[in-house]
Amino acid sequence: MMAAVFATMLLSVAIGWFGHRTLALACFGICLALSLGLFLYEVYSPDYGFRMPWLQVERHDAPPARLMAEIPS
Amino acid sequence: MIFEEVLEPPSRATAWLNYAALLLTMIAAAGILTAALYFQYTAAELPCPLCLLQRVALFGVCFGAMLSFRHGFSYANSGISLIFSVFLLIVSARQSLLDIYPRPGHAYVGSAVLGLHMPVWSALIALALLIGQAIQLALFGGSRRVLDTHVRVFPVIAAVATLVSLYVIALCAANLVSVVLQCGIDQCHTFGYELLSPPPNSP
Repeated sequence: MMAAVFATMLLSVAIGWFGHRTLALACFGICLALSLGLFLYEVYSPDYGFRMPWLQVERHDAPPARLMAEIPS
Repeated sequence: MIFEEVLEPPSRATAWLNYAALLLTMIAAAGILTAALYFQYTAAELPCPLCLLQRVALFGVCFGAMLSFRHGFSYANSGISLIFSVFLLIVSARQSLLDIYPRPGHAYVGSAVLGLHMPVWSALIALALLIGQAIQLALFGGSRRVLDTHVRVFPVIAAVATLVSLYVIALCAANLVSVVLQCGIDQCHTFGYELLSPPPNSP
């Protein structure tokens, strides 16, 4: 799949420079579609989908004492 | 397209600055792509799939600039560069968030340059590209002469742009060979070069 992405990108730049703009744009469109598809495939997890569960936020009414202790006065 | 051989001095300067900005963008992108390939083979840092997609995005930025040099400046070509700049930002931001917390399978994030890891640098590069292109369009986008002036009016810029464009095409071909060596035609991984590693049953 990644090879196809780079192959279509190579066709885009080569045809765009040496040949026909419309054909280059067609290759560019295919390359962009493949890139987007591959990106979504790479970041998708069967366990947690597109979420990133290791990123957590926690609400504090006051800064935690543990963090305050690390800040030099 | 109207081809202007003779331009008024202010229009000529505007068109020159516009093409010079495009050329600088392409040289910067080509330099980053060269550095990425250099580090891959000298420091043995295999690129992950998202890293490779970031390279594709940088080639896309170059593609938009190359079309402007070859077929004349247009907003459509600038749009192509902008699309890939946004794509670069999305991929690098997502990768930074993936690497923000080391965990099994994502413990290795590569070496740091000036304290920042590659995905963070990539996000900063994407931001710089977006800001640069926004400034370029804001400064030169209102001039009709910029659209009507072909780069051939400026022989030095045209010559350098030709060299850089040919270099970008060669670099893209080198990356394709590298990707095939690393991934074959299957899914990419960062364990080694798929086509260079011995088969599992070899002595």
